[in-house]
Amino acid sequence: MSEDQTALLNEVSDVLESVLNKKVELKPEMNIVNDLGLDSIAVMNFTMALEDKFDISIPLNDMASVVTVQDLLNTLETLRSAA
Amino acid sequence: MSLLSKFQPLAARYDALRESGADPFSVKFDDIISSVEGVLKGKRTLLFGTNNYLGLTFDPHSMERSIDAIRMHGTGTTGSRIANGSYDGHAELERAIADFYGRKHCMVFSTGYQANLAMISTLVGKDDHLVIDADSHASIYDASRLGHAPVVRFRHNNPDDLAKRLARLKDQPGEKLIVVEGIYSMLGDTAPLKEFVDVKKEFGAYLMVDEAHSMGVLGERGRGLAEREGVEDDVDFVVGTFSKSLASVGGYCVSSMEGFEILRIAARPYMFTASLPPAIIASTTAALETLRAEPQRREKLTANSRRFYNGLKSAGFTVGPEANPIVAVIIDKVDVAAAFWKRLVDEGMYLNLALPPATPSHQAFLRSSVSAAHTFEHIDFAIELMTRVGREFGLLPENVHPFPPRVVTAERLSARAATMPVRRPAADVGAGMA
Repeated sequence: MSEDQTALLNEVSDVLESVLNKKVELKPEMNIVNDLGLDSIAVMNFTMALEDKFDISIPLNDMASVVTVQDLLNTLETLRSAA
Repeated sequence: MSLLSKFQPLAARYDALRESGADPFSVKFDDIISSVEGVLKGKRTLLFGTNNYLGLTFDPHSMERSIDAIRMHGTGTTGSRIANGSYDGHAELERAIADFYGRKHCMVFSTGYQANLAMISTLVGKDDHLVIDADSHASIYDASRLGHAPVVRFRHNNPDDLAKRLARLKDQPGEKLIVVEGIYSMLGDTAPLKEFVDVKKEFGAYLMVDEAHSMGVLGERGRGLAEREGVEDDVDFVVGTFSKSLASVGGYCVSSMEGFEILRIAARPYMFTASLPPAIIASTTAALETLRAEPQRREKLTANSRRFYNGLKSAGFTVGPEANPIVAVIIDKVDVAAAFWKRLVDEGMYLNLALPPATPSHQAFLRSSVSAAHTFEHIDFAIELMTRVGREFGLLPENVHPFPPRVVTAERLSARAATMPVRRPAADVGAGMA
């Protein structure tokens, strides 16, 4: 994992903590739904919070293909470079 | 593993709810005897969970026209309008709705759900953007999945948040369609439509308003929130339903946009489903006539809504932000809400139990809908019953009273003794209208 991705992972962790109001320790291989226990509403609220954090637009269909934390980091990197 | 094993977590949650004795998903009425009364487990029950805003389900004008239509045109169209053709009644109803809204075009759909599914999934394509309120109805979410446009959500009823999200899409090609609702079906709150219109204009987007719960309810002529807010000219599409104020089933979309009619051969949920049968078309057309001819129903509805909302609020319940016909009591714990709901039903008041994820938070709502056909006596019975049970459950302070002490009508209305078969009244026309 690159330095950039590690930094991104920390930022994503902060966002998720603010959405869930609890401490989370994210690892790239984690499954967002199963390992983090996020229901569909939490995933969508997490998405809105990520949009605001990085000032990007994350269409819901882009999130549909995200399974692991690593997928999310890759998606965010792509969207940020396109923005 | 089996095909249905993925539903085990859902089944476990449902079982837990049923074990508590409350099963809001399988309520079976023995009979419905008026717009606001039914029989449940042999007991006469007041209905506070119907969306029957104008109390027209037993209106003689609609019923007679519906019966005539069956005799004249049969029980069903047995197919879709593009395959089997339209009947006179379909076109007449579309003209009547377009005229009601002062718009050029109207399309009628077989349900309100399909109206949203059809319009939203078809209007925006893969190169456009769909921008929806985070607390949108399931039909809007499902439409967003049926269509091919990227979907972005904004925070509920927050024009600044909408503006922020549209600003991020500013340099992206394609059209943007914003979808909001007139009255939100869970909490009964309205959209800040004037502010949304400002944002829409700033970013050159299109605006659709779902007036399912506000048609017949808000506005001088009952057109909904856009009329009340004076922004109808800036709303490009209004969608709505026949299954609430108009007391039947079906949906519609009106617009004055040039070229609108092409959607009849582009919108799949319009094209590939059976059209509404003559009886429904006829009763809906008649109900729209009544809606237009009897504004006193809307006045009574407003008075009932305020009485119910203010009564529950002053009793100490946590309610939604506005006094509209949808009145939700918010309860933090799902199991408490389920037990509360069951008690109310057992005591003769039927209302909806809304559970997450259908609610916008992790709370449960005891969701009532008020009707013009409710009398003040009905409303007061419901307030007093909910207050009494609320105190028993420890949700309300003992020393707060919704009304000054007086003779309570609850005993008679809760009708513990009313287990005799109910004689169906001729009609409940004008019930509660005096």
